[in-house]
Amino acid sequence: MQDFNFIKPTNLEEVSSLLINYKDKARLIAGGTDLIIALREERLPSNLEIIIDISHLKELDYIREEGGYLRIGSGATHVEIAQNELIKRYAPLLSQAASLIGSPQIRNRGSIAGNIVTASPAADAVPALIVLDSRLVIRKGQEKREELLQKVFVGPYKVNLKSDELVEEIYFKKLPQKAKSDFSKLVRRNAVDKSRVNLAVVAQQNEDKKVIDIKISAGSITPLPQRFKEAEDLLLGEIPTANLIQKTGEKVAEEMMVKSGYRWSTEYKEPVVKSLMVRALNRVLEVE
Amino acid sequence: MYKIVNKSVERIDVYEKVTGKAKYGADLNCGSQLYAKTVYSRYPHAKILKIDTKEAEGLEGVIMVITAKDVPGNNIMFGKFPVLAQNEVKYIGDGVAVVAAESKEIAEKAAKLVRVEYEELPGVFDLEEAKVENSKRVHSEIENNFIEHSHHLLRSGDVEKGFKEAEVILERTYRTQFVDQAYIEPEAVIVLPDPYKIGVEIHGSIQNPYTIRENVATVLGLKINQVRVIQSTIGGSFGGKDESVMLMAARCAVIALKTGRPVKMVLTREESFLESSKRHPFQANYKIGAKKDGSIVAVENKVYVQGGAYNNKASFANWRASIHAAGPYTIPHIKTDIYGLYTHTIYGGAYRGFSAPQMVFATESLIDELAEELKMSPQEIRLKNCLKPGDEMGTGQILLPGKIPAPLEKMIREICRKTDFESKRKKYIQEREGFNPLKKGIGLSCTFRGAGLGGEGIDTASATVTIDIDGSILIQSGLVEMGQGMRTAHAQIVAEVLGVSLDRITFGNTDTAVTMDSGATVASRGILAGGNAMLIAATELLQRLHQQASIMLNCNIENLISENEFIFNKSKPDKKLTFEEVVKECLKGQGLSLSAQGWYNPGPEKLSPETGRGKAYPTYSYGTAVAELRVDVQTGKINVEKITAAYEIGKAINPQIAKSQFYGGILQGVGYAIMEEMRTKDGYLKTKNFDDFLIPSSADMPEMEVTIYESDDPVGPFGAKSVGELGIELIAPALANALYNATGKRIRELPLNLERVLLGKTLKK
Ligand SMILES: Cc1cc2nc3c(=O)[nH]c(=O)nc-3n(C[C@H](O)[C@H](O)[C@H](O)COP(=O)(O)OP(=O)(O)OC[C@H]3O[C@@H](n4cnc5c(N)ncnc54)[C@H](O)[C@@H]3O)c2cc1C
Repeated sequence: MQDFNFIKPTNLEEVSSLLINYKDKARLIAGGTDLIIALREERLPSNLEIIIDISHLKELDYIREEGGYLRIGSGATHVEIAQNELIKRYAPLLSQAASLIGSPQIRNRGSIAGNIVTASPAADAVPALIVLDSRLVIRKGQEKREELLQKVFVGPYKVNLKSDELVEEIYFKKLPQKAKSDFSKLVRRNAVDKSRVNLAVVAQQNEDKKVIDIKISAGSITPLPQRFKEAEDLLLGEIPTANLIQKTGEKVAEEMMVKSGYRWSTEYKEPVVKSLMVRALNRVLEVE
Repeated sequence: MYKIVNKSVERIDVYEKVTGKAKYGADLNCGSQLYAKTVYSRYPHAKILKIDTKEAEGLEGVIMVITAKDVPGNNIMFGKFPVLAQNEVKYIGDGVAVVAAESKEIAEKAAKLVRVEYEELPGVFDLEEAKVENSKRVHSEIENNFIEHSHHLLRSGDVEKGFKEAEVILERTYRTQFVDQAYIEPEAVIVLPDPYKIGVEIHGSIQNPYTIRENVATVLGLKINQVRVIQSTIGGSFGGKDESVMLMAARCAVIALKTGRPVKMVLTREESFLESSKRHPFQANYKIGAKKDGSIVAVENKVYVQGGAYNNKASFANWRASIHAAGPYTIPHIKTDIYGLYTHTIYGGAYRGFSAPQMVFATESLIDELAEELKMSPQEIRLKNCLKPGDEMGTGQILLPGKIPAPLEKMIREICRKTDFESKRKKYIQEREGFNPLKKGIGLSCTFRGAGLGGEGIDTASATVTIDIDGSILIQSGLVEMGQGMRTAHAQIVAEVLGVSLDRITFGNTDTAVTMDSGATVASRGILAGGNAMLIAATELLQRLHQQASIMLNCNIENLISENEFIFNKSKPDKKLTFEEVVKECLKGQGLSLSAQGWYNPGPEKLSPETGRGKAYPTYSYGTAVAELRVDVQTGKINVEKITAAYEIGKAINPQIAKSQFYGGILQGVGYAIMEEMRTKDGYLKTKNFDDFLIPSSADMPEMEVTIYESDDPVGPFGAKSVGELGIELIAPALANALYNATGKRIRELPLNLERVLLGKTLKK
């Protein structure tokens, strides 16, 4: 294992200035549930000099309601998110997703920002955040910029954050009362296992059952977390029928193939993604 | 009737384990110790052109780097395992050098600085390739890839005649995978040089101290008694802490003698996965013939076992397989051939069940397939054919009540009644066509298992029991406690015989300088052989105590009884001597010895080399299980809902420990059946750690209901026979049969993972 200094700053400002000083020679550690593994497998850059612990910073540990928005501090852990009443009410799928991550130990340590920044194609919180149209508040020194979550991912395990930037907050609009949402995860083992497939959906229908909002994202089936726009378009403005839902499921599987190409697992994943998508849609939509 | 035996007393080593006080291998440290790290091969098969250790040796804190040429004695150990590969690496886990340094970190760094030049060679990576005549060879000194002494056969009746009589014939092939034992504690060894005389003292997580002693002695060119092996508390082994710790002990011993310093080596999980033994993959080709009424007339099979690059277990595991290859059924005509094959891959060794989980998966899937073909129920076909009192087994042994019991028929009937097997099975078949993608299934399996080593080797074991002046008792077995509870059972046997309470008893870890070579702690022989040795030693001591007590009480020795801490004349029970009183008089009054060695020797089992028939095992244990599952036919996801199982084990010395063994075995069986797999590709190990080698979590644990059947089997101490391995083997076939019941699809390859269950075939990564 490589040598480094471990620094535990007392506030965010200190963290920011350390990042500015050390740039790519510094790494943040929140829960460490991804970083420690990278460290042990020697996947961190060899010029690493300091690891900055942010897991104890109260400034990053909050979940609050602000107007029509929910704001989550980047250090909020999965267990905090899973159990938070605001999230249960206004973004139930995120609570579901967080509650299915790893094991109690992992959920106690792992943070939402860690899940995002690791940018694993199998991350569970990410697809849920994507269908919520989440935005990130990114900080460099005293400056802040905002970015749509989706835009942050540039490749598997790659985000376009600069080495002197950190994620301070994730926020999104509360789901309207009439909207429905769903998160589901397929695993080989019932706990502590990465998703073979995960699916996140947000949907809303008007009085005539016409779909007025639909957002679909998934994990483990595309290199980058993203929306399945073509599938969404099939439903948008329509009154869903069993047939249309089937077609949408097929479309998601088709988009997966286009984005991922044919892989060893495609023969399995194609029918499975379709079936799971159909089930998810049936849970959130009233079908004619 | 019994005071201590047959009772669920608390384990005598549990307090130290659950409070973290027990010392495991990695907990042991010696002043001035070195830390050793192995440099592993980069290729599955390659010529070693050059090993340059200069840079590593130059690193500050590095004391020594050894290669094969530094081994003073024999570089090749039992099973052809080289201490370090000399000219050629034969699999990806081969060690080519070992670095010894002042710290673990330095050793790790230095290991990366050892430069090895290779010339990559083509290899033989699976059974198909290995079997082919004139294929590339793993070991050039033999003509093909068949592992020496690994072909075992059984010939009973005349299969040709049998198949002529058959009205239905099925031919099927079943396949199983490499899996790791996944013990919680990775291997650890520490070796002390010249502790009192030239030689080494080895401590560690060692399952089989005597084999390691012998092998290390030849590596060092020393006599066996110059190597002393003392077992540390072991955090699980299941058969696995054998070859890998043998390699570690040998490497550390070489360095210890060269440097004169203690050497410690602890494997990482990745190294343990890479270098330790796995369950052998099987390719089992079966042909079965039966009459329309369901009676089986003939079974013929050819079974190929993937041994890996080196192998010292296939010859034993295959013999066990040959005895069990036709299942617990009365079959007039049997022809069995089991072969082991070398490949340039990770290797097979011992893992709880030792060929039974593979064979039982094959035979118990096959019998269900036959039932389906004959339109019989799985219960009916088993009841018709299972071994019954008076039957002759394939080995020619006759099942005689009071000698070898045959309780299967009753056990199968009762488990089916208890689980409502028949009506659920029919209901689930009807529900296959239904709209709900979650289907339920129920499946049955049964087994028999030869107790102890049987004809595999000589089943001798030793025990030393010593009573001290305060009446405390020290027991020491030549067999090893590794979590199975053997030690508690041994203590119960000794306490029962001596008529004293358990809290007098403590134990020592197995130490090759103290107890006699008792062979390996395998084959569920801890109570059968080791317990019998304890019984013999305790009985000898009781004899001595009674001798003295008869003088003290002035009575005939035959009239004496030891019970509840007292020794007394049964016709004058009011005058009682305390146990301590008699002990004191023996030791201090008379100067007698109160230490006895028990040696259990059942004698060799004789088998015909031509037919494989004979007294294979002195007796057999039996089991049957019903698995209930729910499967999502749109994803292939299986949830195991309930396992109901029953085991006949003679007498349970400690029913709670026996049950725990079954619960553990069942859960390992679930893992083996549906998720575990050590994947290799072209000889490279793809499964590196627990993120990929999935074993069941508590969330995957089904409800379990275990019933123990007892019998009057006379072979073991107090009628006990084998327990440890029996739990695991029934689960994979019961689940495969349940899956068939749920879906109408038969999967003949393990594990029953998402892809296979959904697509009915294997997807290769
Ligand atoms: C056994 C196990 C099981 C797991 N199971 C799951 C699972 O089921 N689903 C799932 O999605 N994940 C799972 N994970 C992965 C992991 O737990 C999650 O991704 C978790 O959210 C990571 O958060 P962390 O706080 O531990 O991140 P860390 O390991 O601390 O950090 C990860 C990365 O994010 C960076 N980082 C952290 N915080 C910030 C910040 N505020 N700004 C900028 N960069 C930051 C770090 O520098 C590092 O590069 C599992 C991991 C383990 C070990």
